[in-house]
Amino acid sequence: MSDFAPVLSARFGKKNSSALATYVADGGYESWKKVLAGSKTGEWTPAKVTDLVKASGLRGRGGAGFPTGMKWTFVPPKEKRGDKPVYLLCNADESEPGTFKDRILIEKDPHQILEGMMLASFALDVKHAYIYIRGEMVHGAEILNAAIDEAYAAGLLGTNVLGSGMALDLTVHRGGGAYICGEETALIESLEGKRGHPRIKPPFPAVSGVWNAPTVVNNVETLCCVKHILDRGADWFKGIGRNERNTGPKLYCVSGHVEKPGVYEAPMGIPFRDLLAMCGGMKGGRKVKAVIPGGSSAPMLTGDEMMDVPLDFDGVAAAKSMLGSAAIIVMDETTDIPKAVTNIAKFYAHESCGQCTPCREGTPWLHKMLKRIVAGQGKKADIEMLMQVAGQMGNGMTICVFADAAIAPILSAIPKFREEFEAYVAKSASPGFEQAAAAGITSEVAERTAEGMHS
Amino acid sequence: MAKVTVDGRTVEVPGTANVLEACRAAGVDVPHFCYHPRLSIVGQCRMCMVEIEGVPKIQASCTVPVRDGMVVLASSEKALSARNATMEFLLINHPLDCPICDQAGECKLQDNAVAAGLPVSRTVEPRRQFPGYDRTDIGPHVIADMTRCIQCTRCIRFCNEISGTGELSLIERGGHAFVWTHEGKALDNEWSACAADVCPVGALTTKEFRFRKRVWWLDKAKSVCDGCEIGCNISIEHRDRTVYRFLPRVNLAVNDFWMCDYGRFRAEELNGNDFTRPILRAGGKARETHWGEALDAVKAAVDAAVAKDPASVLVLGSARLATEESWLLAQLFKGTVGASQVEFHPDLGPERKIKNPAVPGGWLVGREAAPNSRGAEAAGVARAGKGSALARLLDGSYTPEVLYVADAEFTSRVSDPKFVEALRRAKTLVVHGRRTNPLTEAADVLLPVASLAGKEGTFVNVLGLVQRFQLAIVPPPIVRTDLEVLLHLGKRWGVFDPQWTARAVFERMKGTVPGYAGLEWDSAALAGSDPSASPTSAYDVLLERRLSNPAEILASAAEARGARAAGGEK
Repeated sequence: MSDFAPVLSARFGKKNSSALATYVADGGYESWKKVLAGSKTGEWTPAKVTDLVKASGLRGRGGAGFPTGMKWTFVPPKEKRGDKPVYLLCNADESEPGTFKDRILIEKDPHQILEGMMLASFALDVKHAYIYIRGEMVHGAEILNAAIDEAYAAGLLGTNVLGSGMALDLTVHRGGGAYICGEETALIESLEGKRGHPRIKPPFPAVSGVWNAPTVVNNVETLCCVKHILDRGADWFKGIGRNERNTGPKLYCVSGHVEKPGVYEAPMGIPFRDLLAMCGGMKGGRKVKAVIPGGSSAPMLTGDEMMDVPLDFDGVAAAKSMLGSAAIIVMDETTDIPKAVTNIAKFYAHESCGQCTPCREGTPWLHKMLKRIVAGQGKKADIEMLMQVAGQMGNGMTICVFADAAIAPILSAIPKFREEFEAYVAKSASPGFEQAAAAGITSEVAERTAEGMHS
Repeated sequence: MAKVTVDGRTVEVPGTANVLEACRAAGVDVPHFCYHPRLSIVGQCRMCMVEIEGVPKIQASCTVPVRDGMVVLASSEKALSARNATMEFLLINHPLDCPICDQAGECKLQDNAVAAGLPVSRTVEPRRQFPGYDRTDIGPHVIADMTRCIQCTRCIRFCNEISGTGELSLIERGGHAFVWTHEGKALDNEWSACAADVCPVGALTTKEFRFRKRVWWLDKAKSVCDGCEIGCNISIEHRDRTVYRFLPRVNLAVNDFWMCDYGRFRAEELNGNDFTRPILRAGGKARETHWGEALDAVKAAVDAAVAKDPASVLVLGSARLATEESWLLAQLFKGTVGASQVEFHPDLGPERKIKNPAVPGGWLVGREAAPNSRGAEAAGVARAGKGSALARLLDGSYTPEVLYVADAEFTSRVSDPKFVEALRRAKTLVVHGRRTNPLTEAADVLLPVASLAGKEGTFVNVLGLVQRFQLAIVPPPIVRTDLEVLLHLGKRWGVFDPQWTARAVFERMKGTVPGYAGLEWDSAALAGSDPSASPTSAYDVLLERRLSNPAEILASAAEARGARAAGGEK
């Protein structure tokens, strides 16, 4: 693995890396030109691009790890979809706590994304593609828009791209600041101008997505990979990674108690131990206590469980967690796990869209209970109740998997670090009903005032 | 069609039905909140959870389309515990203020808590409040209390998909989400109270009915709204001879699930009678009398006039009378007495509309302000046109000896003193009346009659459908129904028997009145569906068992959804 050279992040360190000129100087848009030219001679067809992506074994980098090429084939063929257009949406609503890889891709190398989108649009017969970018990423949206302007000026986008007769438009849409809009159907609703409520599936977006037209939603990093697959071939891509099912280069977002947190590129399936070494090891040489390997939605693993886990979709799944967006949150032995879990629970209580009852009511309930426990007002029975309440929120109880994400940290942390939760309730003075309620009321009122929800 | 097995019972349902509808077709009640046959499927209350064989995860039955051969476990332990969970989540923040909530007794949250909830509460956390968004007026008829809301969004979908006015929306997110009007605008559309109807809890209630009566005390009578010619099927909800409210009854051919606010809030107008005895007026002095004297006076005046000239008696019927009453009027005055002029004046009012997917165009429109012009015409009372006797009376070219007005409110013009002055030119003015108006004040003989709630009969609506309305409250003593007045009057000519009921009249007339042949008084076609146990549970399995046409509702819901899907709507 030592001979691995960064692919996705190769240009991050360069001066003016977001400019078209430097991108082209580094061989950018060669694949796009190649494919467009080849489409006239019949050398390149949409099916050929799709097959190449399929053959590469590329799996979606947004979290679920679904094979990208297969996702593309779910779009009904022209004879079935009639005159409905196909839309490509680039999911740049990166909001999973601990994840910051798409942001750097956007800010440092936007043309890489655009080229990936152009190639995907060619494969899918897309005439108009959108980048749905997280509302808070104002800077990123400016950079993307500048890059798109450059691409239009260079004839890489427009009604007659590079004289090929193909039309392609690209639009950046800024979100309104909701985590749930990263869920692909909520993203679609939001793009349509509605509340970001996940849709009931089926129909899946590939059949009926934005404006009821077939829609493919791909993550930023996934689309970047597409560009490199077209550049260097499926075999090259497949050659990187732990095995046939987990291929390609991968960006890992490492945060927490490591010496040098940040985005690291490594071959898919690098063992956690090696990644930790790349980050300069643990801060102060302390011990790893717990790791969340895939963003806050992923079940927590203990340091011992984590050390030799290969960081790819199947490797982390085998350890009963998930790679997700590869946001690796490392916590050392000084970490107070109940407080960390409370912090995560607060995030989910705040971000639930409010559509489904179990999630709308359950996430704040879990947060309130955890708050009570870490405030020293819990009872021993509360720990069991947390598990039970969390246990009745997931697994099909809600339209999307937000609730499953919200309960994962709780359901994994309590069994693994039960003694810490028990220590909190043991300290609890006299956890009477009235006191507990009183404590809850005060904190609730304070919180609401702070948030200015109902002034 | 698809064959679906629910808890061992196999039923055949339309291919566009969902699993919830299949369960109901199989007679298995799956509790739910957000599902409504006329509203789009959102699947967000998560109450209707069932297990489906071959599907690993538990499913919200309303969101799953049926498949042929599907096996549904609607009462498995997994399904029941999922519903327990949803009920628990719904109740942790509900104020549980049933003792002061108007919805109590017809609340889906109460019903489902009993049917699918656990008898314990595990939460000690403070309950969510919505200061400023509780007990607040959001429109002319609807009061909102968001602390009770369960965010099922039925009201939002009603305003988006049925009334098409879109006043309501979810504000905020997650546990803070609540339903409110856009930018302080009012929930003000012609059907706004239906939004309160579809609300399964006490979050939306109507101002008019709020705190008036506990719903379990109310008796229900099947009736028909007389506000316009559409003839929405209603339930008159009453207690102790007082009408408290109207609720729509489901009738897929007419009003579907809805009724307009104008019709609905006529309810309390049915209460009270200004006159408790017949009144005779002579020389500017009025005195109360008994029916015998009053009706004798009418007969004497009519006889004297007819003897001179049959055209000197003008009988004004009304499109507000039941067909039976109009028939008696025509039989008596045209047939027996020989008066040549028996007519009624259709009163055009503001246009009323009801959304109904079964009607071409999607909307049923009522332009006449009275329910039964078609029935009056069929019964033999002439529809007045140009050159009618009334028109001639008004332009002064004709003065009747006797003017018999069978309904003091036959037109809105009776409040115009000039109009009444013209009618008053008749030598003898006989009026059936209930409420004081310029016409009753001018009458020589005033015959006190009951309101719609106090009588029974049939109306023929804008579609030509014969619909029967039933007696809700017995009128005060001495006050008679229009039917009884005419029967007693007819007895004086030896033609009618006061013992006849509306049904007896119906049986006598149905052979000769167009549109009535072959109809049965007791038939479901005439009576329509039963009132629902509650406005929100109108669509439940219990009611469907009592409906004459449960399969139709199911099919129509599935069909509407199929049409939506084909139309590309989500």
